[in-house]
Amino acid sequence: MDSANAPLRRPADARSSVGPLRAAFDMLWPLAIGIGLAALLHKIVPMFSDTYTSRIVTDMGIAMILAVSLNIVNGMTGQFSIGHAGFMALGGYTAGFITYYGSLWMWGSYEKHGGLFGPGAWLFVASCIVGGLVAAGAGYVVGLPSLRLRGDYLAIVTLGFGEIMRVILQRTGKLIESAEQVRAANLADFFPPPVNGSLGFNNLPKYTNLFWAYTFLAITVIAAYRLKQSSLGRAMISIREDEIASQAMGVNVARVKVLAFVLAAFFAAMAGGLLAHESGFMLMPKDAGFQKSFDYLIMVVLGGRGSITGVMLAAALLTALPEALRGFADYRLIIYALLLIVMMLFRPQGLFGIHEIWDLWPFRRKAAGGEVKA
Amino acid sequence: MTPEPLTTPKAPLGAAANPTRLAVEKLCLSFGGLKAVQDFSLQLPKLCLYGLIGPNGAGKTTVFNLLTGVYQPDNGQMQIDANQLRGLQPHQITAAGIARTFQNIRLFSDLSVLDNVRLAGQLHCKNGLPTTLLRTRRFRAREAAIRERAYELLDIFEMQPLATARAGGLSYGHQRRLEIIRALATDPKVLLLDEPAAGMNPKEKLDLAKSIRAIRDRFGIAILMIDHDMGLVMDICEQITVLDHGVTIAHGPPTHIQNDAKVIAAYLGGGPVA
Repeated sequence: MDSANAPLRRPADARSSVGPLRAAFDMLWPLAIGIGLAALLHKIVPMFSDTYTSRIVTDMGIAMILAVSLNIVNGMTGQFSIGHAGFMALGGYTAGFITYYGSLWMWGSYEKHGGLFGPGAWLFVASCIVGGLVAAGAGYVVGLPSLRLRGDYLAIVTLGFGEIMRVILQRTGKLIESAEQVRAANLADFFPPPVNGSLGFNNLPKYTNLFWAYTFLAITVIAAYRLKQSSLGRAMISIREDEIASQAMGVNVARVKVLAFVLAAFFAAMAGGLLAHESGFMLMPKDAGFQKSFDYLIMVVLGGRGSITGVMLAAALLTALPEALRGFADYRLIIYALLLIVMMLFRPQGLFGIHEIWDLWPFRRKAAGGEVKA
Repeated sequence: MTPEPLTTPKAPLGAAANPTRLAVEKLCLSFGGLKAVQDFSLQLPKLCLYGLIGPNGAGKTTVFNLLTGVYQPDNGQMQIDANQLRGLQPHQITAAGIARTFQNIRLFSDLSVLDNVRLAGQLHCKNGLPTTLLRTRRFRAREAAIRERAYELLDIFEMQPLATARAGGLSYGHQRRLEIIRALATDPKVLLLDEPAAGMNPKEKLDLAKSIRAIRDRFGIAILMIDHDMGLVMDICEQITVLDHGVTIAHGPPTHIQNDAKVIAAYLGGGPVA
């Protein structure tokens, strides 16, 4: 076993003195491929389908980001969180706030500014990242109770977070709608942030497209995969398996749990940023509530805890399925629910269980775990 | 399971060459009105194999839980190589050099055998979040080192062919062995074994006895073991501490313990013989 693996390692050791360019390449090539695929998708999908289908494919990408990020907390670390939509909404509102008021202030209009790589798009990307950072801070706070609570009790705390987000966002607020007003406003006018309360945050510039959705998905998946195949990921999984044994083996359980929440919140918020800029009429306070959270929880359970490819497939399926069932009109949601029940009866461990899709390939020798892949 | 034949049944070093590694002074712990452990003191030399015995409910596992930081003592001192252990979190105590196995096996059952060992082995070789997400050269080198060491350990205990197997699917004997390997992977100075022979047949116990001694000498560590099998404990331990109702009632070499009136009374019942 060891002799078979040794050659895999040796070249990496021998190359350890190569230049920084090579080092950067080793770190970033999966991302480059991911961006390439996103660009390809961006070109190809509209060729073969209408805007409606493109929109659904974009939604699938965003749902996959949310499912993969929730999988870090629920699937890998085993902390039952049902407040994931809260992080998503926080990220969405933060990103929307930045692009909406940023656009008004800089360009005098909340309309989209520039093309695929125009200045507006970069403002949008930056806003998603800022939203991610804000939500990561919230993730830290929500992660703290997880140090003392387990199972159902933690679930209730995370549920509470989502509901608190929803209620805060619902407070009837105003929206500043012209550039003059924005320029004339002082700092106090932006606190609490004017995001239009229960009417929803509308008129956001529509920057989200297939390219950006799948680029962010690539970032999320690469991060999740690298995490899973690392000492940190093993520490997370060990907490899921047996917390007491985990700390007895030297895992700083508190730190790892909070880290899982922070990371999951960060990626979920980026997805929230994408959703906010998708149609421009999407961002509602109810998006932070537990019903949305459950949508993503179902994806993780259906995909298999800890299986990145599994939850991606589940996210894609569950996003596409309600659309595919549109022909059944009123019975659509009943069929959807029935399919979920049947799935759980026949595959209670999820689509792939704890495995990845390539583990199920019959002709492949079982992985020794943690081969240096991406 | 025996890495190499061993001929030294007792600690080979004199007191001068074998200084105290773990010093425990008067540990006390109460759960409400119940005094679970009272004034527990113990000195473990650098290289030794000591036993901790007592009837059921005597507080043996509670002592282990105190030593590993699962419980915080109400009173007392614990030091390893002059480093204070009291008040540290369990993971910090493991990092300071105390590793343990569990009475009821606590493996990470959905992880592979290799991953169980790697998890423990990464304690002194940590990768931070940025290096993990960027998968830098340093990250790869560290992961390779952790992996290599895990394989070495598995090799010593002849578990390498099972490296990719799911830990939960192993036979009972292999699970017990994996628990010991996993504890050793944290690179401990002191190893606490909680009933390592539980559920084993006489042949397996004999093998276990040999391998525990072998571990002590090969890894140069102090071992403190709990077991109910008097034959095993008397056979391999150099010093034995006997607990009853949280109180240390005897301490000494096996021959001394076997003839101690209080120990006999604790095990067989009857009032303490004066």
